[in-house]
Amino acid sequence: MSRWVISGLRQGVVTTCYPTRMETAKGTSPGLPARLTPMADEFGQELVDVCPTGAIHFERGEARVDYGRCIHCFRCSRSARYVLEWESGFEWARFASDGSNFVKGAASWPKAFRKSMHIRVVDAGDCGACLNEVKQLNNPYYNMHRLGFFITPTPRKADILLVVGPVNDHTRLPLQAAYDAMPTPKLVMAVGACALSGGVFGPSFVTGTGVKDVLPVDIEVPGSPPPPLAILHGLLVAAGRKPPMPGQDGR
Amino acid sequence: MFFTVFAVLFLAFSVAGIVCALLSPERGVALSLGCFGGVASVAMGAVGVCALISDTPFEVRLWSVPTVGPLMLSVDKLSGLFLLVSAFVFLATSIYSVEYLQAYLKHFNLRTLSVCYFAIMLAVGLVLSAADALTFLVSWELMSLFGYALVNYQKRDEQSTRPGYLMLVMGEAGFVAVVLAFLVIGGRGPGNLLFSSLRLHSASLGWHARWAVFLLSFFGFGVKTGLAPFNRWLPQAHPIAPANVSAVLSGVLLNLGIYGIIRVNADLTPLATAGPGLVVLLVGAFSALMGIMYANRDNDMKAMLANSSIENMGIITTALGAGLVFMTFHQPLLAGIAWIAAFYQMTNHSVYKSLLFFGAGAIDRNSGTRLMDRLGGLSKHMPLLAALFLAGALSICALPPTNGFVSEWLTLQCLLQSSVLASRSVKVLFALAGAGLALTAGLAVTCFVKAYAMTFLGIPRSNQARQRARVRFPIRLAMGLGAVSCLLLGVLPTYVIPILGRVSELLTGVNAAAALVPPFFNGAPGHSRLPHSFLSDFHNLGAQVGQNLLPAPGLVVLHRGHAQNPVVFAMSTSYMLPVLILLASTLFLAVRFVLARRSKTVRKPVWAGGLASLFPELTYTATGFSSPVRVTFNAVFHPQMSEERLELIAGHFRNSITRVVGEVHVFDRVLFQPLVNRASHIARTLSRMHHGRLNAYSAYVLGTLFVVLLLSRTQVEEHVVLSPALILIVALILDRLL
Amino acid sequence: MLNLAGMAAEAEQNWPGLVQAWVDRRTPLCELRCPPSEILPEVVHWVVDELLFRFAGLIVEQEPQEWDLRYLFYSIQGPPRWARLRVRQPLDTPKFPSISPQVHAADWYEREAEDLYGVTFEGHPRLGDFVLHDDLWQEAVAPMRRDFDEKAALAERRPDLDWKFRRIVHDPGAFAMPVGPIYSGVTESVQFLLETVGEDVIRAFPRLFYKYRAIEKIAEGRNVDGCLLLAERFAATTAFAHALAYCQAVETICRVKLPPRAHALRVLVSELERFRHHVGVIHDICESTGLSVAASQAAILEEDLLRLSGDLTGHRYLFGLAIPGGLSRNLKDADCIDAVEMAVKILKRLQELDDGLRYSSSFLDRLEGVGIISPGKAWEFGLVGPMGRASGLGGDLRKAQPYASYEHFEFDVPLESEGDGFARLRVLMAEAAQSVRILCQVPVRLEAGDVAVGVSLQSGRALGWVEAPRGATFHGLHLDESGVVLRYRMITPSFVNWHGFHLAAENFAFQDFPIILATVGLSATENDR
Repeated sequence: MSRWVISGLRQGVVTTCYPTRMETAKGTSPGLPARLTPMADEFGQELVDVCPTGAIHFERGEARVDYGRCIHCFRCSRSARYVLEWESGFEWARFASDGSNFVKGAASWPKAFRKSMHIRVVDAGDCGACLNEVKQLNNPYYNMHRLGFFITPTPRKADILLVVGPVNDHTRLPLQAAYDAMPTPKLVMAVGACALSGGVFGPSFVTGTGVKDVLPVDIEVPGSPPPPLAILHGLLVAAGRKPPMPGQDGR
Repeated sequence: MFFTVFAVLFLAFSVAGIVCALLSPERGVALSLGCFGGVASVAMGAVGVCALISDTPFEVRLWSVPTVGPLMLSVDKLSGLFLLVSAFVFLATSIYSVEYLQAYLKHFNLRTLSVCYFAIMLAVGLVLSAADALTFLVSWELMSLFGYALVNYQKRDEQSTRPGYLMLVMGEAGFVAVVLAFLVIGGRGPGNLLFSSLRLHSASLGWHARWAVFLLSFFGFGVKTGLAPFNRWLPQAHPIAPANVSAVLSGVLLNLGIYGIIRVNADLTPLATAGPGLVVLLVGAFSALMGIMYANRDNDMKAMLANSSIENMGIITTALGAGLVFMTFHQPLLAGIAWIAAFYQMTNHSVYKSLLFFGAGAIDRNSGTRLMDRLGGLSKHMPLLAALFLAGALSICALPPTNGFVSEWLTLQCLLQSSVLASRSVKVLFALAGAGLALTAGLAVTCFVKAYAMTFLGIPRSNQARQRARVRFPIRLAMGLGAVSCLLLGVLPTYVIPILGRVSELLTGVNAAAALVPPFFNGAPGHSRLPHSFLSDFHNLGAQVGQNLLPAPGLVVLHRGHAQNPVVFAMSTSYMLPVLILLASTLFLAVRFVLARRSKTVRKPVWAGGLASLFPELTYTATGFSSPVRVTFNAVFHPQMSEERLELIAGHFRNSITRVVGEVHVFDRVLFQPLVNRASHIARTLSRMHHGRLNAYSAYVLGTLFVVLLLSRTQVEEHVVLSPALILIVALILDRLL
Repeated sequence: MLNLAGMAAEAEQNWPGLVQAWVDRRTPLCELRCPPSEILPEVVHWVVDELLFRFAGLIVEQEPQEWDLRYLFYSIQGPPRWARLRVRQPLDTPKFPSISPQVHAADWYEREAEDLYGVTFEGHPRLGDFVLHDDLWQEAVAPMRRDFDEKAALAERRPDLDWKFRRIVHDPGAFAMPVGPIYSGVTESVQFLLETVGEDVIRAFPRLFYKYRAIEKIAEGRNVDGCLLLAERFAATTAFAHALAYCQAVETICRVKLPPRAHALRVLVSELERFRHHVGVIHDICESTGLSVAASQAAILEEDLLRLSGDLTGHRYLFGLAIPGGLSRNLKDADCIDAVEMAVKILKRLQELDDGLRYSSSFLDRLEGVGIISPGKAWEFGLVGPMGRASGLGGDLRKAQPYASYEHFEFDVPLESEGDGFARLRVLMAEAAQSVRILCQVPVRLEAGDVAVGVSLQSGRALGWVEAPRGATFHGLHLDESGVVLRYRMITPSFVNWHGFHLAAENFAFQDFPIILATVGLSATENDR
């Protein structure tokens, strides 16, 4: 056993400096296209057509990207004709535009979670990537325990329901059961493009258009999958310890 | 005076009960049993109380029988205690039967049951008051026979009478042993069979005879008590008996075995050496351990309770054995405490076991099953029954502040006192017994957590368990009586121990309760028997805190040693109860008024991992719950065969997996089966001689004769030698002719 | 072993007038057309047990006039070859003989086809309640049929609220321990019903398809590009492998010849993904045994590999890289060399971790002799990937049916025979090492040039296959001339291996269950689709 102690000590500290400072290591985030890009009408329309999830809107000479729908397919950045600027950050979490349990940012936002929060993760038809990224939050790089975030096995002890996946038919009832089993005050955080908008899977006869069809969502974390740091940012926003992404009001 | 009145009342009401049972209409039988049985048992209890209070035994000289001598009845303190305990069980059972027997109406003949019930009541009274061997043995035999009749009352087929038959056979074997024991005591005797003469005569017995008396009586009474390994009948007899009979069987008849052991080995022929006492001690601890292990395994509620009776009898016997050993080591104080513990445990067992059997009977009647694997969720529609059963279960688990805790605490403490004994090997055996009892106590908790949880909690596992039913007043009263007694015996041990102390004083000659349980807690700090320095030490320890506040003595103290070095063990369930109530109510009030203001209670369905619905097949069964115990003690249970039969369809598809586990009780496996096998092997070997040829048989006869003659050649006279020779010749001629 | 022509001749000779054989030398493949009668099981038996082909899967397709069932088989020894049994039946008689009694591996394929297409297989004893749970949808719903009406189905939904699973363990004290669908920490939605009498799991029944998103259904009618998104995102931890299989199917239909650089980079990315996936499973195994330091170290390695992937390709899960005709972007040679060097370093750390694990008796105790799948059972259930190879069942598509220039790379296919958890761990470790060995060979094969060629869409059917990290995967694609998907079929390794999962989980104690679950490394999303 001493072998593991020594080996563990020799490993040293790898934990990220986030949220004190920004993490700058390579490969931590796939980035997202710039939210607002002025461009000519012909390119703009082409851009709208090339986006498979309808994340890009073109209005008055500006291409706007809805982060909730972007799935990092890179189709908008492949052609030199209309390449969108990519932003490499990860602080994408935002308050849900409607249906939230709490008036966002207002005084009614629960203060109980500032120091510590227990998370129940529910897989609602996720492709595995978001789930794997949530799992990475426990690894020494991100180590969310240091911030007072813990995964619980039962929703009875959970403060926040972290939902990944587009909510398909078979997981809908378990998801609702988990939400019902949680004590109040409770939050719901939808993680990943599928959970926000159904992603590439919805809507269909077994899949809806995200968690908001079923539950009131409070926090949204865009990305497909959102990298661990983005999810961490989402948790910090939920706890009221970080501001949400500026200028995002859901649309 | 009172004695006579109560004894006559008891006799009168019992006989009246029999008459009434025979005369009254079928529907009224249950009620008459309840009324007459209730009054008769109150009278019986009154006799017991009188005996406990009065300083002299109550004696009645019956008629004199030629060649045997005078017959006599006598109720001393020992008999009085057993009468009182039995009376309690009979009283509760009588009340319970009024309602319980309604289900038997029209299916079974209630008259038979009623007559047998009163008969056994009389027989028990007679056994406990017999003061001569003949009365004792006759009434003992009557008790066995009526017990058999009651257990087999609802016989349906050959299969279901087998356990009752086994009970009878083993009881009779025990009876023969007891008769032999009495023969040995009174063998070349005093001319009559009065206990008083036997008591005088026994002092002259040699050690062979003493061992013989001990072994015979311990076997004989041990079988009745359900001690290992001759207790296989008990867990089989209980499930076939009606619940009220089970209560009597466990709460009264088993105790009589204990009575017999004490009467013979502590009163009539007090032991002279430590050996027999150690045997009692170890057999007791072993029985307790085996009993509770099998109780854990059993899923039939009544079989489980029966095995738990074996466990309790084991604990009583252990304490009894400790007392016997202490007596032989001339430690009458400790022996007294050990016997107080034994009597306390016995009283408790009678109370809570009858309560639990009543509960099991009510469940059986309402749900139609006693199998814990098929019950569950009963607390929802039988909350009172659940609460009463829980009271019994907590008591039997020996959790404070219930009565089980007091007696088990005393038992374990008194086993720890073995440090005063000189012999190292005896100390080791005491330690072993103590360890066995400690393990037993732990397993008992597992067992009754299972019993309560699987029966009353969770969701119903069968349609029968889902049935709604009302538990009627007589059942509630009988069980409530038991539950209240459990609590009272638990919180007021300081009142009970002196009474039991009087009983043990009869056997030891020393008042252990007074010496070891100092009465200064009763508001007399300057008690003369205790050194002043000890008292002041004790004062500093805070033992007298609250003495002026509480109206009653509440602390049980075992003190032994010197003023400088008092070895003190103290326990108080009486003080604990108010503290517990205070804590609980404070907590309740705090939650209710301080915290509740900020939150409200919301009831949500059970979280089952997101399952659409939690159905009974998805919840733990009793078998599953006790599985860790089965795995841990695999060496004991030792399934001889455990296989999974797999049925495949269409080549590869599994259709069913049937588990077949063949388990043979450890005593059958280790002891009885090898014995039977050996015996039948010998019989087979001998049967080779039986090949049916006449001359061979003649040869056996002659051969035997020769051997006999050779063995007794000193007394042989000539013509005797000649006659076999003649027979031989005749036989040879016959052989030729044939 | 017969060659394909010989096989065709013998089949026609064995079943004269009933079986028509036809050989496609390009694939190479021997197609046997077989009537839907009792001879089908015989032919299957002949192909599997005498010619020693392995069953790859079943593709059901509803043609305008008829049902078209294609049973696929591939050789794992000798030269790469395929066999295909084709059975047709008019639309109004959706009945076929079951081959599951002969080839048990076909069990779930038939159940799936029955549940989604409403096609019955006579002789199969366990049809019904499979993909669409009966407590949500009535049995009559068959969503994969062309005439399936979503709105009507949703309107006429009749869930069976009294649904109970079929219990097969008979013992008075037996009960089923439900686990999931929401259980433990961060887990996929799967439900396990463990039948037991207390300590040991007597029967494990995984109730899958909680994550059924009807990928095969929603793929129909999409264009090739839209379907690619589904192919790579339905099981994202092995996204590149599935995307690659899909792309290969498109490329086969459209007869595209890829530039060598595209092939080499595809190998590079595939092996990087395999390496990362295996490290992830190793992390899960360490975590399930409660060995936290090792689990943390494995987690660091997994994150390092994710970052490496992100840095090299722009996406941590390699999304958006594979496209029909090559790769969507060219990777720089220098970046590739850096990545390979990094992978070698990570492998070295993984091997140090492996050494540590092999000296930790508390760890080995919980793996050795636990979760055993015997080679015979592995063959019966046709297990694939590391789970099959730990039970001595070889077969690696990279060797058996090479694709993407794997035939030019040197590597071994590790094989163990014990079939327990430790054997699976050893296979994962050895495969991770072999992946890095392949990675090291990539830079010398990187020829300059394009990584993609244009694809002109054609109509046709084709199969693309890849040895995904969890085992063999087959993607069947049917395009019409405008490039619209008519039928997209994914045969995934998890689907095959979940079928045999109970073999590992049964007759072991409850506390071993999470460990066994970790060692098999199965994915529900890959199975459910």
